[in-house]
Amino acid sequence: MTNNTAAKADDAERRHDQNQYLTFVLGRETFALGILSIKEILEYSAPTEIPMMPAFIRGVVNLRGAAVPVVDLCARFGRPSAAVTKKTCVVIIETRVEDESHVIGVVVDAVNEVLEIPDSEIEPAPSFGASIRADFIQGMGKVRGKFVIILDVDRVLCVEEMEMLTHAAASGEVVQPAA
Amino acid sequence: MTDAALPTFIAESRELLREMEAALLECEQGESGAEAVNSIFRAAHTIKGSSGLFGLDGIVAFTHVVESVLDRVRANSLQMDRTLAAILLECRDHIEHLVDAVADGKPDDVQLATKGESLLQKLSARAGGPATTHATATASASASASAPVAPAAGWQITVQFHTEVLRNGMDPLSFIRYLSTLGEIVELTLLTERLPAAEEFDAEACYLGFEIELASSETQQRIEGAFEFVRDDCTLQVRPKAPVASESVAEKREASDAKETKAAKNSDRSLRVDGDKLDALIDLIGELVTAGATTTITARKAGLSELNESTLRLARLVEEVRDQALKLRMVQIGPTFSRFQRIVRDVAREIGKEIRLEIGGAETELDKTLIESITDPLTHLVRNAIDHGIETAEVRRNRGKNVEGVVRLDAYHDSGSVVIEVADDGGGLKRERIIAKAMERGLITDGSSLTDGEAFALIFEPGFSTAEQVTNLSGRGVGMDVVKRNVNALRGTVELDSKEGQGTTVRIRLPLTLAIIDGFLVGVGGSSFVIPLELVEECVELGDEHRAADGDQRYINLRGQVLPFVRLREMFSIRSSASRRESIVVIRSGGKRIGIVVDDLLGEMQAVIKPLSRLFSRIRGIGGSTILGTGQLALILDVPSLLDLCLNTRQVQVAPRRALTD
Repeated sequence: MTNNTAAKADDAERRHDQNQYLTFVLGRETFALGILSIKEILEYSAPTEIPMMPAFIRGVVNLRGAAVPVVDLCARFGRPSAAVTKKTCVVIIETRVEDESHVIGVVVDAVNEVLEIPDSEIEPAPSFGASIRADFIQGMGKVRGKFVIILDVDRVLCVEEMEMLTHAAASGEVVQPAA
Repeated sequence: MTDAALPTFIAESRELLREMEAALLECEQGESGAEAVNSIFRAAHTIKGSSGLFGLDGIVAFTHVVESVLDRVRANSLQMDRTLAAILLECRDHIEHLVDAVADGKPDDVQLATKGESLLQKLSARAGGPATTHATATASASASASAPVAPAAGWQITVQFHTEVLRNGMDPLSFIRYLSTLGEIVELTLLTERLPAAEEFDAEACYLGFEIELASSETQQRIEGAFEFVRDDCTLQVRPKAPVASESVAEKREASDAKETKAAKNSDRSLRVDGDKLDALIDLIGELVTAGATTTITARKAGLSELNESTLRLARLVEEVRDQALKLRMVQIGPTFSRFQRIVRDVAREIGKEIRLEIGGAETELDKTLIESITDPLTHLVRNAIDHGIETAEVRRNRGKNVEGVVRLDAYHDSGSVVIEVADDGGGLKRERIIAKAMERGLITDGSSLTDGEAFALIFEPGFSTAEQVTNLSGRGVGMDVVKRNVNALRGTVELDSKEGQGTTVRIRLPLTLAIIDGFLVGVGGSSFVIPLELVEECVELGDEHRAADGDQRYINLRGQVLPFVRLREMFSIRSSASRRESIVVIRSGGKRIGIVVDDLLGEMQAVIKPLSRLFSRIRGIGGSTILGTGQLALILDVPSLLDLCLNTRQVQVAPRRALTD
């Protein structure tokens, strides 16, 4: 009996969590990420640089004995990276590809808050017009009358895609921007 | 029996089957000593006994027949020869399949059962003669999965219940009552010697044992089955009452406690430990090493001599603990080598060559994960040696060689690494053919300037194969490059020696362990890098004249020899101005010597290797990372791939740090 209620409470909590988002700032825009994929938020410390990597890979940091890669989201979105300030943070995110889990840190300019965005308040991604690649967008959440871009973590931090880009950089094939 | 013990049974059986295979192969080659036959018999016997405990009737029935044949060999009433050994090998394979079926959770495979029967027929046909009646009788009965045949007379059962049995909710009486449904209890003696004095008597504990004489025609298994539920809570002995076959008494007793027998046999006091536990321990020790380094640095800063001394003592101990822990993961390579006996035999037979496998250095130890990862490349090399290396018997005769070809596997330690050799005394590599092929494939443009070593190295290039015809074993041109890649992935190297007409030797050089290396820490700009210490030969200062002549001259005169060098700063595009002093670390790898120019030499350290994320899986020049005493990460240089990178300077010149946008 108690088990049952506990399970129900658990379930309710999970459903509740699913609608919870962390909002953060990149440049002048606000983005959101589902909190279920977020492990922790760290103060920014300069990562160890890895040579011959594309600009969106800042390097690796020591997270309690494991070497965790750090991705610069600005660079990943094709924008110039912002200067490091006191508010700069590294958000540690866990993604799953098939059965493998990958822990990756992302650099953001500042984190704002965790808030709830019910499904009814989320609009589908526009096919164009957004400031970042359309497939990076999971949806547009309405928060206090403004839209925030909810990021699709699995696409933004797609290990396979990034691996290809790092490989291209490491072997010296320069990927030219489309003319 | 509990399911929890089943994996142990499976693991043990597989081990025994491997022993059995090795001994059978010995027999097949005509070196059958009594010891080999004994060990085959013991393996079959133990497997039979343990599977009986788990009620795996299929395995018991099949193995029993095999065992009886073996028993006759042991008693010299049957001669072990090539044919018999070959059939027994097939039987061994069948037992392995049966065990595999149990492991997969489907012990009642009809196909397997029919195959088993036909094998048994083959066996009894070979082992024929008057003395086989027993074996053949059981063989025909085995279809109905009958257990060892029981003498009809009766059974002597001795059972000692453990003290906990009542508390576990078992009533000893109910088992005795159940026994009476299997036969008639002729006599029952109560064993009371364990009864304590009245003041120590615990009313909830069971102190009783029984000696029962049961007149029954049931099998031993059924009778043991009666005690199934208290199997862990009692000591049970079931013996045939009549002293009909004294051999069989001993055998049954042994079988009833197969584990004990095994433990007694391997009296070398070894423990079976879950690999994950070891990995966790090694991880922890890795952290300990890192924390120890931090403490040493802090102590040095504090400048207290006593503190310094004690941290040094601590560091020495930690180092010892580390070495001991790493040794736990070390296993001998012998069993892996022995497995190739079978491959060599089967493959040689398939293609009609006479080949003998020689094994050396079987006691050489290396990390278990390394052994697991090296098996595939080794298999490939051995197959290559058999298929392409060793000539056919006819050719060998014409060349005046011994008709029987020899493939040799060898392992030994050499200056901080392990070397595994696969050698054959076959035709060797033909330099001209390799060069012709390489030019045809566009790998090189002119072969005349290549040294032998460089020419032979070409066969490790992707898509290279000189075999004139493709066999189903090898020769499709995939292979040697995969071998090289696999070995490189383990931080190892492959070299090849060959003399035309005399044979080929492939030498794989591997690190002793994958977890921790002794490293040499260097600094460039603000970054730190670790160079594996065993590759470092010496360090020299980079003279001003070389620094001034920056640009063209990328070599120095090191005691009369030319030493080419690379600047890590340029190679890795590290953005910092050159420091006032630079040093050259001289490293040797794969027979080449080069210098690496760095800013600072920071000294030796133990580096616990932390693998980099999959994101960096294709990065070249870097093999992993490690955590410094300060908590900072440093990158570990992968020297062989760094050398490749140097040889390909075109790629270094491309400015790599460029934003990739779309």
